[in-house]
Amino acid sequence: MMSDDTRSVVIERTLDTSVDVAWNMWADPAHFAAWYGPGGAAIPVADMDVRVGGRRLICMEMQTPNGPMQMWFTGEFQEVVVNKRLVYTDAMSDDQGNILSPEQTRMPGDHPETTTVIVEFEDLGDRTKMTLTHVGVPTDSPGAMGWNMAIDKLVEYIAAA
Amino acid sequence: MIAAVLDDDRLSETFAALANPVRRAILARLVDGEANVNELAEPFAMSLPAISRHLKVLEQAGLVTRGRRAQFRPCVLNAERLEEVATWAEQYRRIWNDRFDRMADHLQNLQGDAPDQPNNEPTEESEP
Repeated sequence: MMSDDTRSVVIERTLDTSVDVAWNMWADPAHFAAWYGPGGAAIPVADMDVRVGGRRLICMEMQTPNGPMQMWFTGEFQEVVVNKRLVYTDAMSDDQGNILSPEQTRMPGDHPETTTVIVEFEDLGDRTKMTLTHVGVPTDSPGAMGWNMAIDKLVEYIAAA
Repeated sequence: MIAAVLDDDRLSETFAALANPVRRAILARLVDGEANVNELAEPFAMSLPAISRHLKVLEQAGLVTRGRRAQFRPCVLNAERLEEVATWAEQYRRIWNDRFDRMADHLQNLQGDAPDQPNNEPTEESEP
């Protein structure tokens, strides 16, 4: 069921690798492209300027019955603390990195154009714990609280149904 | 991202309907049981036609169904659609779990290539 923030996802994963390698999974475009795309999709473009204020531009390419379909995502690195913490924004864009409006992406009206991904790394020696938080709504946004309170009641109802 | 984009329009419609405080309040009220338009309008400083318009949006999104009795037409919450909203976050969870699975596979391949250097990046382009 939903967490306190109904619009964020938190996942922990411990990797059998050093924190240097774990960090490079995110910071090195070649590694990032190897795992990021959904199953069956390729990442033909992963431009990442991994420093605070640096831009990122990612292309996902999927094979569909109508031929290959490309989707582009852009964003900015907001926090870059090597081997510790990486924060970046993510939004659908065109191939030039111009962010698309929710109308253009057929997203619902209040879906944020930009979401935030936070990755925290914990050095466990030969292993590394990663904690990923994907925030769909800024937790300090005025709308977030009311939205959650209203939906809490609805979720209780669903659980009881 | 991908799942949300490839989602059918229905979930988008549900979210669009939920993207309004009055409509969410109406739904919260209906959790307590069915109600007619007059009852739903009571807590709001809004005209009946305005409330009716909100109800129409909720109805079109399938979040509310309305009785057939012309006089009262009580509104009832349709919990099924809300369950789809509850699974929204789960979709993102699935996407990231899949990604981490692939990351672990990728790591295993790398380490297979360079078993003696588990702490070093095996490819040159990996240097920060």
